[in-house]
Amino acid sequence: MDGRLLSETFVELADTMVVGFDVIDFLHMLTDRSAQLLNVSAAGLLLADPRGELRVLAASSEQARLLELFQIQNDQGPCLECFRSGKPVAVADLATAARRWPRFAPAAQEAGFASVQALPMRLREQIIGALNLFRAAPGHFDQADMRVGQALADVATISLLNERSLRRSETLNEQLQSALNSRVTIEQAKGKLAERLHLDMDQAFNVLRRYARTRNIRLSDLARAFVDGSEALPGLIEPPSS
Amino acid sequence: MLAGRSARVWSLVAAQAARRGGAVSAEDVCAAALTAVAVSGAGLTAATRAGSGHVMCATDGISEQIAELELTLGEGPAPDAATAAGPVLASDLAAADVEIRWPSFAPAARQAGASAIFAFPLQIGAIRVGVLEMYRSEPGPLDADQLGDALVLADTAAVLLLEGTNWAGGGAGPMASFGGQPPYLALHRAEIDQATGMLTEQLQVGIEEAFVRLRAYAYAQERRLTDVAGDIVARRLRLEADPDIPADGAR
Repeated sequence: MDGRLLSETFVELADTMVVGFDVIDFLHMLTDRSAQLLNVSAAGLLLADPRGELRVLAASSEQARLLELFQIQNDQGPCLECFRSGKPVAVADLATAARRWPRFAPAAQEAGFASVQALPMRLREQIIGALNLFRAAPGHFDQADMRVGQALADVATISLLNERSLRRSETLNEQLQSALNSRVTIEQAKGKLAERLHLDMDQAFNVLRRYARTRNIRLSDLARAFVDGSEALPGLIEPPSS
Repeated sequence: MLAGRSARVWSLVAAQAARRGGAVSAEDVCAAALTAVAVSGAGLTAATRAGSGHVMCATDGISEQIAELELTLGEGPAPDAATAAGPVLASDLAAADVEIRWPSFAPAARQAGASAIFAFPLQIGAIRVGVLEMYRSEPGPLDADQLGDALVLADTAAVLLLEGTNWAGGGAGPMASFGGQPPYLALHRAEIDQATGMLTEQLQVGIEEAFVRLRAYAYAQERRLTDVAGDIVARRLRLEADPDIPADGAR
């Protein structure tokens, strides 16, 4: 574990949380940093929707294959088990997991992953989701990584509650739904921008994120204004200068 | 998990329509809420980003009164839910924090006969259709199951209102034309949202109409919504704007 990167990450996360921030943008940053810090190939945050579904809130990559792996976990996989048990789930070698997860294990291997881990997002006695980590090489996650990973999952949970103090579980559910809807708006905006500028979804996301940061607008507000057409967004839809 | 809930909630809604002897509509969602979520009444307010709301339907006089109070006073769970794009759950209207939050609305709503109010925005990303609001005459929170059902009811109402709208480009028509099948709400997939965004450009329409047109295309082709969306995102499929319809006709 890179100690310096770890401390920088926590300074960066804390800095972002004290000013007005966009929760989805923040969680994307958190999954990016999780991937770097924990030396994993990909990281994603899945939230349990009270409708009865695990939904992706943020991921270190917008790769369709990775999103598909999250989707499968509505039926089987480490995230679902982690969510149900409230305990971390780790598989050091996915080649041995074909019986446990007949759809998930081969799909993950096909996507280039050999080991996987899910850490619970906990709030008191409630489990609200999981942080999912994928590695290209087989092997166990060591104790230090696990502790930092769990801390990152806890920060993700806290960030979801950041905008209002949490006194009741009612407030938690309000916040989670609002965050999930922001994610939908961002996907709609990605689609519109990708079509307009002939970009792939990953590129479209990066253009939106960069624009939001440079202009100091929340990513979800930008996404909504762009989809609505309710605000002039100078410079957004001109092709990025190369 | 979700598929089972969706099907069960839809059958409750469809049963209300059958009892009325009509095609499934938003008012059936309100009626279904009474049993599914165990509330005393429910009402639906239509509101888009273009204009302020009006009461679409209400199961009883108290629900109607609550909606009218919110429109008049400009405060309450429904306006807050529309702004927050998330539900507003007030399980006890006599609680001190509720009184602070809605100083005019809270006492008036209690006076009208409500002790708890739960408001659910009918929003799918940037799509805004209105708010589904429920009240209880006794205070008390929704349990996890009731919350899940209420969210699925709100999804259903949103789709019913969107597909019932008369789009210049031709909407999907009434839900009955889909063989009485539950609306395709059983999943939230990124590619559906991305494809909807792409269609605003391809068809030169607003996001609401793009959503309806995507679903209409899938139904007409008898294909799964996710497959059609996947083809659009992978750029294997493009939907073209209808040349007979002016581009701004549906905005």
